[in-house]
Amino acid sequence: MATGFFTDTTLCIGCKACEVACKQWNELPSDGFSFTGDSYDNTVELSGTTWRHVAFVEQIAATPDGVEDRWLMSSDVCKHCENAGCLEACPTGAIIRNEFGSVYIQPDVCNGCGYCVVSCPFGVVDLIDSLGGTAKYSTANLQESRLDASKTALAHTGGVAGKCTLCYDRQTLGMVPACAKACPTDSIQFGDVATLRERAKERVTTLHARGETSAQLYGADDIGGGIGTLNAFFLLKDRPSVYNLPERPVLPSTRQPDGYAAAAVIAVGLAIAGWAIFRSA
Amino acid sequence: MNDEKPLLKAPHWGANVTTYLFLGGIMGGLGLIQLLCDPRDESMRKLRRTTRIASFLLAAVNPPILISHLGRPERFLHMMRIVKLKSPMSVGVWGLVLYSGAAGANMVRELAQSGVLPSWMRHFAPHALTFAQAVLGAFTAGYTGVLLSATAVPLWAAGKRHIPAASISSGAASACALASLLSVIEGNHEACVKTERLEMVASAVEFAILMDFRRVSGDYGKPMFEGPRAEKFRTVTLIGGIAVPIALNLLGQILPLPKPVDAARTVVASVLTLLGGYVLRETFIESGKASAAVRQTAISQPT
Repeated sequence: MATGFFTDTTLCIGCKACEVACKQWNELPSDGFSFTGDSYDNTVELSGTTWRHVAFVEQIAATPDGVEDRWLMSSDVCKHCENAGCLEACPTGAIIRNEFGSVYIQPDVCNGCGYCVVSCPFGVVDLIDSLGGTAKYSTANLQESRLDASKTALAHTGGVAGKCTLCYDRQTLGMVPACAKACPTDSIQFGDVATLRERAKERVTTLHARGETSAQLYGADDIGGGIGTLNAFFLLKDRPSVYNLPERPVLPSTRQPDGYAAAAVIAVGLAIAGWAIFRSA
Repeated sequence: MNDEKPLLKAPHWGANVTTYLFLGGIMGGLGLIQLLCDPRDESMRKLRRTTRIASFLLAAVNPPILISHLGRPERFLHMMRIVKLKSPMSVGVWGLVLYSGAAGANMVRELAQSGVLPSWMRHFAPHALTFAQAVLGAFTAGYTGVLLSATAVPLWAAGKRHIPAASISSGAASACALASLLSVIEGNHEACVKTERLEMVASAVEFAILMDFRRVSGDYGKPMFEGPRAEKFRTVTLIGGIAVPIALNLLGQILPLPKPVDAARTVVASVLTLLGGYVLRETFIESGKASAAVRQTAISQPT
């Protein structure tokens, strides 16, 4: 049974409790303190040390009846794709699909090559540069030896990839992930993905009936590009790009056959030319 | 404000990865040259020996360059615990390891044949490894392109055919340039005539591929062809690294130049080609970083 998140952005109030709970539970360090001047969004984006990000979108438009404004909030997270670009790209096998169907990075196996970073069509994964010596990185089944290995891997250079684990450690103990537990409005719902999908579709029907015709699901069904469904999917009130989500994401590995084929054609061509040049009298 | 937010993460790759890709391409090209050399011909036998030694040396320095990117030596071994066909990084590293083995064995045979090593060591490598090194070389050079094109970075993804094709032709041209350069140094001028001809073909193919990429890539290609890096790319790769060396090599084929002048011509043409090959890889990497920051091309990704 795959578990995941249904993030219903119509219920999000932008309190950032999910961000805080995630940082606390996973002992992720601060990203520094800065004001972007962009609404209430000072987190900016998901990163190796930020695994939930509440996006604020202010839509203000002049209409004949005056000014119409709308404030969209959405808690973004790793999508835990059915076919995950990062998982396919990882050359060490550090990125695995665990027993909960989540895409999980084993920090002690990761070698920091950064190939997953460029292979995520959603721009989620990033390298953790340094944990600054004080913070530790708690993950992986709460097994001490494993934790020690993780910490050792990080202590030397930092430089391993980081992203949402879907609270692998909490799930093994039968607990709900920290963000979903902390969400005061049930905007973040955790559970069996199949059940969540049904619930999400009912919710869209309800919203449409109430006149919220722009309500749409993102990733509950096949999202295209070879990625399949998302275990962490969203209910949005506007087009995905408004929330900084790709409208047409593509699984990077689907481009491999074309690449190897093109290289092979050129290789054979150059070999024939070379043979003609080198073996001619 | 939302329009300025990046959607994708930029690659963390710098000069060491650029060098790794550049040398990977040369290694691949050298694999082809050592196969093409007819050992019955004295100058070709010398060229084969030179390219085999050079290819093994390059294969030997590439893992340390990769390690300088990873941070610690044992991190390289993390990639040796698994073979993953869907990961270009995984199959590429295995290709590199196998190539090193073939190149190393061929080098030992070469040195045994020329008396540097004991003569019984010539049995160290079966003749099939000559062909194997060429095939593995083609793979190594091609993979340096697929490594980029099989990602979400819009510029690289848009070049899913062009970047691997340009990588392998640029690798072949650079390998010919290196072979010419080394041949001039050891006084094997006859070999240069052939390596320079092949270099002209490879460079012309590379040029055509890059021009076609510019034509078809549209908005996805802008960070490479219109961005702040475009001028360096045009000057050092397209003109300095392709057009000028082709002209110089053509000159060498047509005009009966005096030997010292001809040697100087070869050196200049080869160095320019190698420089152009490096800047091609650098342009791929650096404009890939710029491309990842362009929100619009990340929203609608190349298929």
